Amino acid sequence: MQPLGAEAHPHNTQQRRNPPIAGEQEAIARAQQGDGKAFEVLYNLHKRRVYSLCLRMLGNVAEAEDLTQDAFLQLHRKIGTFRGDSAFSTWLHRMAVNVVLMHLRKKGLPQISLEEALEPAQEDGPRKDLGARDLVLSGSIDRVALERAVEGLPPGYRLVFVLHDVEGYEHNEIAEMLRCSIGNSKSQLHKARMRLRDLLRQTVSPEARP
Amino acid sequence: MNDSRKNTQHGASKDCHDFQAHLPELFGSGVELGHHPHLAECAACSALVRDLEYIAAQAKLLLPLHDPSPAVWENIESALSKTGGKGKRTT
Repeated sequence: MQPLGAEAHPHNTQQRRNPPIAGEQEAIARAQQGDGKAFEVLYNLHKRRVYSLCLRMLGNVAEAEDLTQDAFLQLHRKIGTFRGDSAFSTWLHRMAVNVVLMHLRKKGLPQISLEEALEPAQEDGPRKDLGARDLVLSGSIDRVALERAVEGLPPGYRLVFVLHDVEGYEHNEIAEMLRCSIGNSKSQLHKARMRLRDLLRQTVSPEARP
Repeated sequence: MNDSRKNTQHGASKDCHDFQAHLPELFGSGVELGHHPHLAECAACSALVRDLEYIAAQAKLLLPLHDPSPAVWENIESALSKTGGKGKRTT
């Protein structure tokens, strides 16, 4: 029961998914003093996760690279304001999330308002077809299927799912990043997993079902 | 067979409704759901919980694997040099 165990021990999760990075603190301090090489160190430490977040949210390499660039340029402008109240990666991710959301809003895509995306939907009730949907998924999905299913999530769901289940952020950190309540983060994550369940079930052929 | 089990043959019972309404909070709290009394009597909700736990566990497969191309850093460097703002403090 990995997710439950992880949530029961948030500090263990933090250590596993977001461990302290050797040399990061020093690089932050030096970058805040104007050291370009230190900023490059920070870029190299965090580029993969920022890029992956952008890529998962946009599904397009060129756009993801553009937004990664924007996020780090914004980091460069604002790094002097980092006070260490939260983990640097959380702070940077929040910046990247905002860059992504701004971009999505500019594109005029539906469900790109975070407020709208995080608003409780009308699909919270019990599933009427639970009895016909017994164990299907266990052992039946791979990375590719999951990637595709995640791409099929609405942006708001996708964002919380990626931040929590993939990146390992805690609900309180996500709430801080997205400026929403912890309860809202939990609710969105649950809806994301429910939607993924539906999407993944569609990819599992009847023959493959146990 | 109790009501909860009976009802899940064709749809969700009130017990299922109550249990599912609390699922986001239950997952988020770290409570051991396997011992929840409703799951002992409801195969459908047990399956639902197992699927959701499986999805969450499989999400680790999606940890970042790729770096952005070197052009991204080159563009950042270029932009910083144009603005003359290499490492300049903003506060």
